[in-house]
Amino acid sequence: MSRESSYLRHPFWQALAVLVGSYLLFKFGIGYLLPAIGVHSAPVPSSVLLQYMLTVVVALLLYVSTSEDRWTRFKEPLRQVLVDPDKRVLRVALLVALPLLVGFLTYGRVRADVGAPPSLRSIHPAPPNQITFRGEPISLTGLENPLREHGSFEEHLAAGSTVYVQNCMPCHGDRLDGEGPATHALNPVPANFTDNGTISQLTESYVFWRIAKGGPGLPVEGAPWNSAMPAWEDLLTADEIWAVTLFIYERSGSTPRTWEESNEGEGH
Amino acid sequence: MLRTNLTILLIVIGTLAVYTGVANMIPQVASEVPEETTIGADVTPDELAAIGEELYVGAGGCTACHGLGTRAPDLVGVSGTTCATRREGVGCKEYLYESLTEPGVFVIDGFQPIMPDMRRILSEAQIWALVAFLQNQGGEITVTAADIPPEGAGGAAAAAGGTGGTGGATSPGIDTAVTDPVELLRASTCLACHQLGEEGVALGPSFDEMAGRQEAEYIRRSILLPNADTAGGFEAVAGTMPMNFGDQLSAAQLEAIVRFLAGDR
Amino acid sequence: MLRAAAGAAGLLLLALEPGLAQEVMAEAPPYGDFPLVGARGAVWIAAQVHLMFAAFVLGVPMFAVVVEAIGIFGGDDRYDKLAKEFTRLLVVAYSATAIWGAILVFVLATLYPRFWAYLTTIFAPSMWVYAGLFFLESFTLYLYYYGWDRWKKGFSKQVHLGLGVALNVWGTIVMFIANSWLTFMMSPPGDLAADTAPQTVRLWSAIANATWMPINIHRLIANVVFGGAVVGAYAAYRFLASRTDEERAHYDWMGYVGNFIAIGALIVLPFAGYWLGREIYEFNQQMGITMMGGFMSWLWIIQAFLIGVLFLTGNYYLWVGMGRIPGAERFMPYIKWMLLVLVIGTIVWATPHTMIANRQEIAAMGGTHHPFLGVLGVMSAKNTAVNLMILTTFLSFLLYRRANKQPVVSWAKAGTMMQGAAFVLSAGIVLFYGIYGYFVTAIVRIGFSVYQVLAVLVCIFFVIGLDVFMMRGATSRGAIRWGQMPARSQYALFILAVTFTWLMGLMGFARSGIRQHWHVFEVIRDTSPQAFTPALGPAATMISICVLIFFALVGFIFWLGGLAEKPAASPVGVSASSEMDLRAGAEPAHYVRPEE
Repeated sequence: MSRESSYLRHPFWQALAVLVGSYLLFKFGIGYLLPAIGVHSAPVPSSVLLQYMLTVVVALLLYVSTSEDRWTRFKEPLRQVLVDPDKRVLRVALLVALPLLVGFLTYGRVRADVGAPPSLRSIHPAPPNQITFRGEPISLTGLENPLREHGSFEEHLAAGSTVYVQNCMPCHGDRLDGEGPATHALNPVPANFTDNGTISQLTESYVFWRIAKGGPGLPVEGAPWNSAMPAWEDLLTADEIWAVTLFIYERSGSTPRTWEESNEGEGH
Repeated sequence: MLRTNLTILLIVIGTLAVYTGVANMIPQVASEVPEETTIGADVTPDELAAIGEELYVGAGGCTACHGLGTRAPDLVGVSGTTCATRREGVGCKEYLYESLTEPGVFVIDGFQPIMPDMRRILSEAQIWALVAFLQNQGGEITVTAADIPPEGAGGAAAAAGGTGGTGGATSPGIDTAVTDPVELLRASTCLACHQLGEEGVALGPSFDEMAGRQEAEYIRRSILLPNADTAGGFEAVAGTMPMNFGDQLSAAQLEAIVRFLAGDR
Repeated sequence: MLRAAAGAAGLLLLALEPGLAQEVMAEAPPYGDFPLVGARGAVWIAAQVHLMFAAFVLGVPMFAVVVEAIGIFGGDDRYDKLAKEFTRLLVVAYSATAIWGAILVFVLATLYPRFWAYLTTIFAPSMWVYAGLFFLESFTLYLYYYGWDRWKKGFSKQVHLGLGVALNVWGTIVMFIANSWLTFMMSPPGDLAADTAPQTVRLWSAIANATWMPINIHRLIANVVFGGAVVGAYAAYRFLASRTDEERAHYDWMGYVGNFIAIGALIVLPFAGYWLGREIYEFNQQMGITMMGGFMSWLWIIQAFLIGVLFLTGNYYLWVGMGRIPGAERFMPYIKWMLLVLVIGTIVWATPHTMIANRQEIAAMGGTHHPFLGVLGVMSAKNTAVNLMILTTFLSFLLYRRANKQPVVSWAKAGTMMQGAAFVLSAGIVLFYGIYGYFVTAIVRIGFSVYQVLAVLVCIFFVIGLDVFMMRGATSRGAIRWGQMPARSQYALFILAVTFTWLMGLMGFARSGIRQHWHVFEVIRDTSPQAFTPALGPAATMISICVLIFFALVGFIFWLGGLAEKPAASPVGVSASSEMDLRAGAEPAHYVRPEE
C-alpha cells in the first residue's frame, strides 16, 4: 500500500477532509459556484456558516467514535503529535500556532469596525389585532379585502394600478419584483411581490396594515428604524390601499393567505 | 468514581452552557408591554367610556356617594337618559361636564350640595372620559376627541389612573400650598361623609369625636388604607371611603390633618 | 394581613419620604417582591422545577406498569426487577414533587396575591378535588412500592398490577386538573371579560378551554419521553458506578430500555404538538403568529438545534450499542449514510428563515432572506427534514433489533425487500409533498404535513408488523453482550436527559410566553414591573438554572437509590457474593470490561 492510500483510509484524515470539503461547499459552493452556474444565490452569512460547521464537526466526532476500533485509530495521530519524540518540531509548532490562531480569531470578533452589528430583523412580524386608520379603529383579525365583495373587479384593478404606478413603482418596480429605479439605493431592499415568500404568505389584512403604517409602524422586532417604506395612511384612502393590494396580488399572480377558522365564512 | 462524577458534572454543565450560550448569542428581542391607553387625538368614544369607568370605580372615588342610595343620585344605567332633561337649555354633554366641574350650579331636589369639584383630583381629559362613561349609561356618547383640550395635563395624560405606579403621578391632586387642616378637610371632600361641627354629613365616624379617642397612627392608617380597620357601628359602609388620598395629599398635608384629628387643635 | 404589613411599612417611611409614602399607600399591592430573582423569577423557578419532577413521577409509573406487565405475561423476571427499580426512584421523587408544588403555591399566593385570589375563586372546587386525588395517588404509590415483594404470586400479583394502573389513573387526572388552570390563563373561554366577576365563571367552561385537551395529550406523551430519559440517565450513572459485571449488564440494559422509551415516544410527540399549535391558531390568530413568527420565531431555531442533538445522540447511542451485538457488523457500513441524512436534516431544520447578518451580508443577500438557503427556511422544508429524521431513527432501531437475528422463514428475503420498499416509498411521499408544498397556498400546504406524517406512521407500523412475523423463530447470531459498552455511550445518555429537560423548559417558556403581558390572555392584565416577556437569552439562563436545580436534586435521589441497595447486596458476605457469581456465570454472555 502506498503512503497516500493509507492516509485516505485513516479516519482522522478522512474526517479532516470532510470538514474542509464541507467548509468549501458552504463558503464557496453556495456563495459563488451556484451563481456561476446560473442559480440565484449569495454568500452564506457567517452566523449560519458557523452553525453549519458546528453541526458537521459534531457529526464527524459522533461518526468516528461509533466503533471502538475507529475511535482508537482516530485518536492515534493526536496522541503521536502530543507524545512521540520524533514529532517534537511539529508539536512545538502546533503549540505556538494554535494559540495564535485562537487569538487572531478572537481579535477578529472583538475588533471595532464601522459596520453596524448584526441585527435580527423579522420580515413578517406579528400584526396587531387592531389598528387605528385615520382615527378609525379597524380590527385586522378576520378582515377581508372589501373590494372583492362588491363593485366591479376590473375598476378596482384599474384604480389599484394607478395607485401603484403613482406611488409604489419607484421602489417595488414596474414588474412588481422589487427592482425599481430606487431599489438599489435602499438597504434592506424593497419587497419582491413575485417571490412566493412575500405576499402569498400573508393575508390581505396584513398587507393593508403594512401599507397603511409603513416602516415606522413596524413593531420592534421588525426594526422600524431600518425601513424606508412610508406610512401611506396619510396619503392614500382606505379604498385606495385595498385597491392597490388587490392589484399587487392580481399582477404578481399570487393569492392571499386565507383565514384559518374558515368553517362558516369561507367565501372564496 | 470521583473522576466519573466530575465527568458527569462537566457534561451536564457543558451542555447547559452550550444551550445558554447559543440562546444568548442571537440578537435579543423581548416582548415589551404596550403603553397604557392614552387619551390621544385618535381616542374612540368607547375607549373613552372604558377609561371613564375605571375612573368612576377607582381614582375618581365616585362610588363613595353615588350608588349608596340617599346621599347622591344613582348614575349607573340611568345617567345617559336623564342628563339631557335635568336643566332646560343645557345639553346632556354640557350638563354632565358642569356637574363634574361646578357641582353647586344645579343640585337635584332632595340631595345636599356635597359634591366636590372633580377638577381638583382629575385632569381635564379624565373628566371628559367620565362624561363619556356617564353618557354611556343608557344614552349615546357624544364626547369626541375634539372636546378634550390638547394641553390638558399634557394632552395624553395617563388615563387609567388608580392602577398605581406610573399613572399615579399625573393626577393634579390638591393644591399643595394649603396646609390648614380645616381647609384641607373641606377641599378633600372629607366632609361629604364625616361631620366636623356643623358641617358635613354623618355617614362615617364624626371628626369631632375622634380627638383624644384615636391614636395618630390609627388615623393616618385609616386615611391611607381606609379598609385596614372599620370603626364599630360603621360596618355597613365599610369599603366606600376612597383609597386614593395617599396620592392626593402631600406628606405635610396628611400630617396636618392627622395632628388636627388626633386632638392637637 | 399583608395589607396591614404593607401599611405599617408605609407608615414608617411616611415622615421621611413623601413621594415614596404616597406610592405605598395608594392601594394594597397586587404584587409582592422576592429578593434576588424577583417575583416572576421565583414563580418561574418554582413552577419549572415542580413541573420537571411532576413529569418524572407521571411518566415513570406509565412504563413501570407496562414493564411489570411484560414481566408477568412474558415470564421474564428481569422485567419485574426493572419495574421495581423504576418505582423505587419514584418514591423519593414524589416527595420532591410535593415539596416543589407547595413552594409554588406559597410563592404564587404571596407574590401574586390578587391574581391568586382570582384563580382560586374560579377554580376552588377543582383544587379540592386535586388535593384529594393527590392523597389517593400518594397512598396508591406507597401500596404499590411497599407491597411489591408481598404480592408476588398469582392473583395478588395481578392486584398489584391493578394498583399500578390505578396510580396512573390518579396521576393523569391530577395532571389534567392542573393543566386546566394554566390553559385557562392561555385560552380563557370567549365570553370572559376583564370585568367578569370570577364568582360568576362556570367551572366547567373554565376547565374545558380551547387548549386544555391538546396540552393534556401533549404532556402525557412528553412525560413518557421525559421519564424514559431520566431513567436512562439513572441507569447510566449506575452503570458508570458499577463494580461488578452483572450490575454493569443490568444497568446497560436498563439504559437501553430508558432510551428506547424516550426516543420511541418522542417520535409521536410532534403530532401532539401540531394539534396544540393548530388549536392556538384557532383560538387566537395573533397568538399563533406571535408564537411562530413574532418575537419568539428564533425560539424554534433553538428548538430545532436541540431536537437535532436529541436525534443525533439517540442514534449515536444505538450505533455504539451495536458494538456489543454479534452480527451487527454487517449493518455498520450503513451508519454513515444514516448519519448523513440526520446531518442534512439537522442543517435544514435549523436553517433560519430570517438570518442574522451584518449589513454587508444583508446587502449581498438582498434582504435577510438568503436567495438560495431561504428555501430551506420555510415550513415545507422543515417538515420534510424532520419526517426523514424520524424515518432514519426508526431504521436505526430496526437494524439494532435485527442485528443478532437470522430469520428462518422462507420469505425472509422478499420481506426485507418489502420493508425496504416501504421505506423508499414513505421517504418518496415525504419528499414529494415537501417539494410540492412550495407551489401551493399556505392553507393547502398545512394539510400536506398531515400526509407526510401519515406516510411515516404507516411505514413504521407496516414495517414493524412485517418484522414481527418475519422474526418468528429466528435463530440467534449470539447473545447481546450487555455491559460491554464504552463509557462515552453512557455520557450520551446524560446529554439526552439534560437536553430533554432543557427542551421542556424552553417549550414551557414558549407556551407561557405567548400570553405576553397578560395573566389571563386578553382578560386579566399583568401590571407588575415584570410584565414584559424576556428575550431568549435571559430565558435560557433561567431555564438552565432550573435544569441545574433539578439535576442536583435528581443526582441526590440517584445516589439515594444506590444507597438503599447496598446493605441488601451483601448481608452475609460470602453467600451473597457467591450467589451472584453463580448467576453471572449462568449468563451466556461473557462480560468484557469496557475499554477506557
